[in-house]
Amino acid sequence: MEDFLLELAPPLIKGILLGGLYVVIALGLSLVFGVMKLINVGHGDLVILGSYFAWAIMGWLGIDPFLSLVMGVPLFFVLGFFVQKFIINRTLRISLDAALIACFGISIIVQSLCQAIWTPFNRTLLTDYRLLNFAVGTVSIPFRYLLDFIGGLAVMIALREFLRRTYLGKAISAASQNEPVAERMGINPNRVYSFAFAIAMACAAVAGVLQGLTFSFNPTSGPPFLIISFGVIILGGLGSMAGTFIGGMIFGLTQTLGAHLSGSMMVQTIAPYLLVFVVLAVRPQGIFGR
Amino acid sequence: MKIPRLTTLAPVAVLVVLALFPVIGIPLSWLNYLFFFFIYLALANMWNLLAGYTGLICLCPAAFVGLAGYTLAIGTQVGVPFQVGLIAGAAVAALFALLISYPVFRMKGIYFAIGTLILPQALKGLFSYWRPVGNEYQGMGAGYSVIGSAGFTLMDKYWLALAIAAAAIFLVYIIIRARLGLGLTAIRDNENTAASSGVNIFRLKLSIFIIAAFIMGLAGAAYFIYSPRINPVGGFSIRWLIMPLMATVIGGEGIEEGPIMGAAVVTFLTFLLADYGAWSLLIQGIILVAVVVGMPQGIAGMLRQVGAYRFPQKLLQAAEAKIHKN
Repeated sequence: MEDFLLELAPPLIKGILLGGLYVVIALGLSLVFGVMKLINVGHGDLVILGSYFAWAIMGWLGIDPFLSLVMGVPLFFVLGFFVQKFIINRTLRISLDAALIACFGISIIVQSLCQAIWTPFNRTLLTDYRLLNFAVGTVSIPFRYLLDFIGGLAVMIALREFLRRTYLGKAISAASQNEPVAERMGINPNRVYSFAFAIAMACAAVAGVLQGLTFSFNPTSGPPFLIISFGVIILGGLGSMAGTFIGGMIFGLTQTLGAHLSGSMMVQTIAPYLLVFVVLAVRPQGIFGR
Repeated sequence: MKIPRLTTLAPVAVLVVLALFPVIGIPLSWLNYLFFFFIYLALANMWNLLAGYTGLICLCPAAFVGLAGYTLAIGTQVGVPFQVGLIAGAAVAALFALLISYPVFRMKGIYFAIGTLILPQALKGLFSYWRPVGNEYQGMGAGYSVIGSAGFTLMDKYWLALAIAAAAIFLVYIIIRARLGLGLTAIRDNENTAASSGVNIFRLKLSIFIIAAFIMGLAGAAYFIYSPRINPVGGFSIRWLIMPLMATVIGGEGIEEGPIMGAAVVTFLTFLLADYGAWSLLIQGIILVAVVVGMPQGIAGMLRQVGAYRFPQKLLQAAEAKIHKN
């Protein structure tokens, strides 16, 4: 029994730490989902674009991926602002389905852009600290998982403070709670949408770096992240930061524990999808949902 | 003798001409292009039926195509003739649609879209590790060859694809003019009102989902007879969603002739840009976004709006009047 528990410790810790990565991805997705009721189907691909951006900067200037965020975050922010302004806001006026298809088009564009520029081969962000381990008692855990957790926590707290303390943040919260009333209070929904998408893209840039440090990636590895982070939102409930955080942990644990207990790669791959599907079918409003 | 009307005669004439293409010595490359056109056409027509007429943004054609392809490939591995495998593949796709119908129809709107997006990904994961027959891994992933279709020439494959595409078009033609089609558009426009007016939403959605899955499976299996090797990445590739979605949206969603025009555009672009690798899909993606933003009703909708059909319709009526004068 003791052996079993001791063996269970690494996947448990890894799963919880890995949850941080899913939280960062899900926060960007949920911000857009909250204000526009639209799932950005291309969010996973934008995360991968973030990974590639960090990878390219690393190869070009030789600087640390986290330092490359100094360029990556503003660039993604501006890009997101204009994508929303010129593409998604226009399609939202037609219908939500049109906007969904536009997002799908963006997903195709980003995927094939990555493939065209960086070839379809697997890449990783190779840094000195990527392969380091740290010890918890007698258990050794890869350092990069800890980075995921710290990253997730940092982005979550930053976003939470932003939404609570700044005018723009309050406007975004207001628009996601009740848009018609928010509009009557003098909030311009289109502007809020643009900023929400821009912030979501900035989150994607951060998530891209964390993702690239944790896993290897290729141009088509985006959609699984989209599905998992969507599951995190559904499980955690929209607009609930704590729920999102717990949702992220649950998905991290599903993956690592599933692989550990069954000992097969198949379970590790499929378990998160099944979880999302079951949650969607049983309780679409989420477990911690309002 | 009663002369059939020109509007019924014209599609038959087009079909006969297309069916005669291989016999009259069309270049082989053309048969290849047209084969892809027919497969995309069948997929796009079914996607249009789901998204355009019923309002179900179904992102899982790849699941139907991949399952049908795998059924066909595994079937031929254990000695089933590929003709039977073709039908069995489509039947398995339809069965899968039946199995998932209850959970996915509980999801509405955007939830339905994401819920269906999960399925091909999960199946891809399943088939990457699960190998029901044959020995262990052969190279990358759990790939299978379709065997026993060597005697099936390009001409036969062409006719098969043509038959599937024609069946898909005919099916949509029938459905949207029947009671079923009326119920479907009612569901698309307002589900609650449709339900309160006595439309059995679940049964209608289910029947349309199964029909679409069957035809998509048929088209997918036909593709894997044409290109007789399947692996998880190719079978459940997002391409099986991209092509019908793009064809439908560019051509015109919820318009009967939309997917036909869209599939022609998409096939043309695919082969025109074939030498540019990933840039080809990039350009198609940009066109898709441009169409959604600038011309949401698609090519067919645009043509209807500017009245481009009026002149040919007048000609047709005049010709009809002359023929049926006596």
